[in-house]
Amino acid sequence: MTATVQTKDKRVNQTKRKDAHSVSKRLQQELMTIMMSGSSEVSAFPDGDNIFKWIGTVKGPKGTVYEGLSYKLTLEFPADYPFSAPTIKFKTACFHPNVDEHGNICLDILKEKWSAVQSVHSMLVSIQSLLGEPNNDSPLNTLAAETWCNQPKFKELVHQFLKKSKDEST
Amino acid sequence: MRPDDADGAGGPRSAKEAEVRQRNSKDGEPAATEPEVEGATGTTTQQDGHFECNICLDTAKDAVVSRCGHLFCWPCLYQWLETRPNRQTCPVCKAGISKDNVIPLYGRGSTNQQDPREKLPPRPQGERPEPENHGPFHNFGIGDGGFQMSFGIGAFPFGFFASTFNIGNGQFGGHPPRPNVPQNAEEQFLSKVFLWVAVLFMFWLLMA
Ligand SMILES: [Zn+2]
Ligand SMILES: [Zn+2]
Repeated sequence: MTATVQTKDKRVNQTKRKDAHSVSKRLQQELMTIMMSGSSEVSAFPDGDNIFKWIGTVKGPKGTVYEGLSYKLTLEFPADYPFSAPTIKFKTACFHPNVDEHGNICLDILKEKWSAVQSVHSMLVSIQSLLGEPNNDSPLNTLAAETWCNQPKFKELVHQFLKKSKDEST
Repeated sequence: MRPDDADGAGGPRSAKEAEVRQRNSKDGEPAATEPEVEGATGTTTQQDGHFECNICLDTAKDAVVSRCGHLFCWPCLYQWLETRPNRQTCPVCKAGISKDNVIPLYGRGSTNQQDPREKLPPRPQGERPEPENHGPFHNFGIGDGGFQMSFGIGAFPFGFFASTFNIGNGQFGGHPPRPNVPQNAEEQFLSKVFLWVAVLFMFWLLMA
């Protein structure tokens, strides 16, 4: 009995060590895919030496109030990625029904609909889509949700929000 | 510049398609130079003879394939199913999936490699139906699934002992016992011992 437990412990340790290795391996694979894709709409790169923290960029989708704007996001990967979703937040202030004042994003594929086959690229593309197609039924920013139907007004607020946060940070 | 990236605002569904295209276009070749692989039934895991796990994106080790046809390393799929016991779905297509209905793939020479049971968690066995072979003791039913079940319903002590045993057995509790796996011999023996202890305890309760 004791012997069995010990061997299992040993195996668990081996599994854990292998995990850290395989997580960074998968992230490197994703980095390569993103760089190969050559996409100008979304991009991402590790923030310094730590492969578990990335900075992503999403361009405002064409034909929406966000067109011409570029948003920076932070991505933090858990040790058990891709079995758990990364934490993705807007770094640039974003006036949007599904983004709160701290940059937290309400998006089902990052929460209950997370799947291990999601990738950094697919998540950023989904976030870009979310910009143009908010879910106004469960808003984090109620003012944004209420203003969405008035697009010129909404656009004004988007730019105001961006400018205000830039002024505050300087 | 890929045309599919230009119209990013296509909703979550187009995000998914973009992802599929992206997966098809890995292996270091620029996406623009190769034709898109055929639509929804496209080979998302296989290109140029590579068989890559959908989760770790590496060549599948201890490969298993789901009924929906998606390829994974067994350790990767096992961990995915362990992290969400309430929603056992294929991470690629969301089809129902379970540890018991995936099929292990044995490539050439794979039988000469390390016994997969040596690695945790054990990969499900390939199905090798055996001829009916019931010994007399088997019919008597000690340690047999059905007997344990019916006993467990009415008897508190057995349930108690059984759960204690499971805690002692450790980290990877929860995977169903697989018949014909030598690793389980000790567990079966122990559960028989606990069963008899429970029987004796019941007698003691009745006598007292
Ligand atoms: Zn894998
Ligand atoms: Zn599937």
